[in-house]
Amino acid sequence: MRILLIMALSLLGCSGSIDEPVSYFNVETPRPFGYVNGDEIPQRIVIETRSGIGLQPGSLPAKGQINRWLNLNRVTVKQSGQRYQIDLLYQVFYAPLEVKSLTLPGFTVRLSQGEKSIGQNVPAWTFTLSPLRELVVRQSEQGEYMRPDSPPPLLTDTQALYGLAASLSVAVLIAAYLGYLYGYFPNMPRRTVFKRALRKLAGLSKADMEQALTVVHQALNSLNGQPLFTNRLSEFYRHNPQYRQINAQLLWFFNYSNRYFFSDGMIVVAQDLQQLKELCEQCRKIERGSR
Amino acid sequence: MNTDTQLSDWREQALQFEQQINQTVIGLQPAVRHIVLAVFARGHVLLEGNVGVGKTTLLRAVAQGLGGDYQRIEGTIDLMPADLIYYTYLNGQGRPCVDPGPLLKHGDTLATFFFNEINRARPQVHALLLRAMAERSINAFNRDYHFPHIQVFADRNRVEKEETFELPAAAKDRFMMEINIDMPRGDTELDELMFNPRFHDTDRLIAGVSSSGIYYRLNELAQTVQQRIQTSPKLHAYALGLWKATHRPQQYGVQLTDVEMPQLLMAGASPRGMSYLIRAAKTRAWLEHRDHVLPEDLQAVFPACMTHRLFLNPMYAYRKEQLLPELIQGILNQVAAP
Repeated sequence: MRILLIMALSLLGCSGSIDEPVSYFNVETPRPFGYVNGDEIPQRIVIETRSGIGLQPGSLPAKGQINRWLNLNRVTVKQSGQRYQIDLLYQVFYAPLEVKSLTLPGFTVRLSQGEKSIGQNVPAWTFTLSPLRELVVRQSEQGEYMRPDSPPPLLTDTQALYGLAASLSVAVLIAAYLGYLYGYFPNMPRRTVFKRALRKLAGLSKADMEQALTVVHQALNSLNGQPLFTNRLSEFYRHNPQYRQINAQLLWFFNYSNRYFFSDGMIVVAQDLQQLKELCEQCRKIERGSR
Repeated sequence: MNTDTQLSDWREQALQFEQQINQTVIGLQPAVRHIVLAVFARGHVLLEGNVGVGKTTLLRAVAQGLGGDYQRIEGTIDLMPADLIYYTYLNGQGRPCVDPGPLLKHGDTLATFFFNEINRARPQVHALLLRAMAERSINAFNRDYHFPHIQVFADRNRVEKEETFELPAAAKDRFMMEINIDMPRGDTELDELMFNPRFHDTDRLIAGVSSSGIYYRLNELAQTVQQRIQTSPKLHAYALGLWKATHRPQQYGVQLTDVEMPQLLMAGASPRGMSYLIRAAKTRAWLEHRDHVLPEDLQAVFPACMTHRLFLNPMYAYRKEQLLPELIQGILNQVAAP
């Protein structure tokens, strides 16, 4: 009998807390003093509700102007399970003549369960606001009394500037190389056509005559912009008149190449390669502009 | 007589023949050179040009100069294949007779067959000609007739397009060369043509061409030339490059204005076309006193041998006259040898 009574009493004790729709409610506010015109005042409201009860976001104060001197700048609601954390950020625009007590207005947060709705009051909060300056503006001995802060000193940026200059120059070099690879500088390689050809010729011997002739052909072709054949020499001279002075050697070269490549029974002697190199050297001189 | 001296003798005759034609038909040296190449390479020739520039005169002079039996037919819209093979008539006794037509009249000694205004004839006639040109034979009266020596010359004018039939691609491909005949450019030649009475009477002009009588030995000669003139591996590579460039010019860097190069061509040169090109190039090397073919030989005959074998996409076909020469020149300019 006694046990039954204890059980009934303890059940009765539990029932009260189960019926409470809000199991936890707290308003966290900062210090209530020492504010000046333009300060922002945060306010955090934490609510924990019983399951099945939800917060009605429409019941929170709307962002914007609350009254003549108070703005609500931000409203954020974070929900984790049944716990709501409401962060309000107020800003005060009031210029008091002396320390003045002001009040953030209270409001009611509405919670709903199905069609039923209950309210939870957030109390008004009082704080004091101080003036920025004395009532009477006085002249100081050193210049103005009302003056802005001294500007902050600049950070040293020499390191960054050096870095920027270095990376920019590297980028320009890479871009130039890329342009060279893409052939954006059509005139530049033409000035070194025979220089490169001579370099390639230097390592070749009599046995590599085919390669040597091909090198010279390629050099002439790239100078001409298209394959050069004997019968197009006159057109070539029209575009590159300075080469006309070695006409005889060029004719020799084309005849020799024709005989070498297109007829059989050709015997190569070392003198031929020498003559080929001489031709290439003369072309190089013309290319450099010294002839 | 060994082959080399024989070849050089023949060369002298060929050059003499060319010179004679050049004296008869003045101001057309490049075209005459091409015709001589085609004749000695045993290829058929299609002439194209404006009216009255001397196409027919040129061909008559060539036929006369070569010697051999000569037949000629005019293309008309109602010409049928049968008209080439036989013709029917009533003889003096009122009996109906069937006689061989122009193609069969001379039997296997038919040498030059001249088809005037070929684009006026119907496709049926083109079809008959296809076989006559490619196989040098036709079938008539239930048997095959062979013409081992036949050389077809055809001409068409490019001014009119009405009441004409475009030659099918297959028929065009059987011609070794399509040669453009333009007006002579030099003032002296134009003056001669206008005022010299020698050029007013074409019949007498043609009669003045002496027949060299080499015609029936041409097959043998052409074969010797093809065998004797050498081509090196480098030249093979160059010819292959040219051939590939007629299929994908963009890969060889050929670029024409206002043209999407990958879409330009429907068909490039055919294997037959390339073999004709090489034959013509070898003949040119022989005429230039060489025993090997040079790239310049290929370049010299490339436009005449290739222009009629490249088929443009219909989108570009209306600019054919402008694009094809540019394309051919572009290919020659871009393919390198060696």
